[in-house]
Amino acid sequence: MEKVGFGLGLRHEHYEEILAAPGQVEWFEALSENYMVAGGQPLHWLDTIRRDYPMALHGVSLSIGSIDPLDEQYLRDLETLVARVEPMWVSDHLCFTGLRGINMHDLLPLPYTEEALNHVAERVMRVQDRLRRRLVLENVSSYVTYAASELTEWTFIAELCKRADCDVLLDVNNVFVSAFNHEFEPMDFLRGIPRERVRQFHLAGHQNNGTHIVDTHDHPIIDGVWELYAEAVRLFPGTPTMIERDANIPSYTELLAELDVARNIAKRITVREAAEPALSGAEG
Amino acid sequence: MRSNAGSLADLQRAFQDYVLANGDGFAAQVRDTRKADRVTLLDVYRDGYALRLIEVLTNDFPGVLAMVGLEGFDVLSRAYIAAHPSRHPSVRWFGRQLADFLAATGPYDRTPALAEMARFEWALGEAFDSVDVQPIKAEAVMAVPPEAWETIAFAPIPSLQRLTFGHDVPPSWQRREQVESGTLEVARLDEPAPWVIWRPGRVSNFRSLERDEAAMLEAMIERQPFPALCEALLPHVEEDQAAARAAGLLRAWVEEGMIGSFSP
Repeated sequence: MEKVGFGLGLRHEHYEEILAAPGQVEWFEALSENYMVAGGQPLHWLDTIRRDYPMALHGVSLSIGSIDPLDEQYLRDLETLVARVEPMWVSDHLCFTGLRGINMHDLLPLPYTEEALNHVAERVMRVQDRLRRRLVLENVSSYVTYAASELTEWTFIAELCKRADCDVLLDVNNVFVSAFNHEFEPMDFLRGIPRERVRQFHLAGHQNNGTHIVDTHDHPIIDGVWELYAEAVRLFPGTPTMIERDANIPSYTELLAELDVARNIAKRITVREAAEPALSGAEG
Repeated sequence: MRSNAGSLADLQRAFQDYVLANGDGFAAQVRDTRKADRVTLLDVYRDGYALRLIEVLTNDFPGVLAMVGLEGFDVLSRAYIAAHPSRHPSVRWFGRQLADFLAATGPYDRTPALAEMARFEWALGEAFDSVDVQPIKAEAVMAVPPEAWETIAFAPIPSLQRLTFGHDVPPSWQRREQVESGTLEVARLDEPAPWVIWRPGRVSNFRSLERDEAAMLEAMIERQPFPALCEALLPHVEEDQAAARAAGLLRAWVEEGMIGSFSP
């Protein structure tokens, strides 16, 4: 995979700071819906920052798993934005966000069934044909387990990648959150995702309520997620990484310092992995 | 497939009904965990749905919030969410019907300044990310040959909106952060006041209008030719002064970046 490096979510709170401190990140991830507007400051800043940085587009309302028809106007708006931004890749979430014309503005999990798999795979292929590129789908944080589920989430994702030829945005925090909430081993999840499909990592903070964790993106990343990130880097080396912060947003400088933690972990793992064959050779 | 499994469509409908608090049937389709019962887990979605949309309204309508206070705004928002669930992929458009809702729904209809404040704040939001058009420059107007003034028609930039308020809305909105939440008072005016909102560059502007200026601006928005703009002033100015007043207003609008184009 071509090296893309470490990025941050593009947030309006940081526009000025990004211009004032160029070259601190390798790329930005822009939230598609924020820029599906006619003009004004959002598009001005998007274009300005895009001139200096590669970008990925990340959507929240594709609703790829919904039984509602795909939203034609949304797809047209996305195509327009893709033409404007020329993103490295386009991602959204493996979930449904609306039904019966009502948008819930939440990432509602799917039951992991053969029926859902067929339904989503067919829609992913249609969107990919439309956008003329692979779609990158993110594993969501979820709080409920369907009694109807027949597959693990990671088997569902791996099978979807195979059937629809799509890629994965592996959200390491979401794996941590869902593992806690659904009582599975996070390493089982990571090992179940096909290595060649992982296009990007997400990292974020969350809120632990004791009985369950809520994916709030309003706190710094916790140690347990950093440890899981190290494992993810080991399994999916060189994967572009970014931090999502959507509430209680700190300064750009503070987020850059957090991104340095990710850089250092990735560097440490990469050095160690490179040294291991030599070390084991010396021992042998 | 297990015999007790609902279809994907049934499960999605039941899930949505639960989140919208239209039914609790979905609880039978999900599992407790060792740490939490299913209702606690499901309520992460039900509570989150309302809280997320209330946050959107809080950001888009700080003036309404300053008028009714946090608690009142929570009640108002929940009533609006129930009456007008979001039908757009972006939360950017969620508040579009709030002004109409407040104007038509009790108890808010008894405080008409609330709907006016919401209308003003929504118009500011519309100006913020409307289509960008570079306003015309004074030189372009000065180059118009004298004979063309009989037919020339001007068009405002797309972000320009004319609003009329029966209450002192924009000046009160400017005080929204200086008062304790819930205490912002918006006085009723003796006569409705015309205002204009527009965004000539990246920053939106708004200001009040003189009555004759408002009448002429209306005519301009309707793309009426220049002689008709002069006529629009007649109820307010003497006939022999209309052309000079119209020319003066036009020059001011061009300088303020309100005009996007003209056609001969």
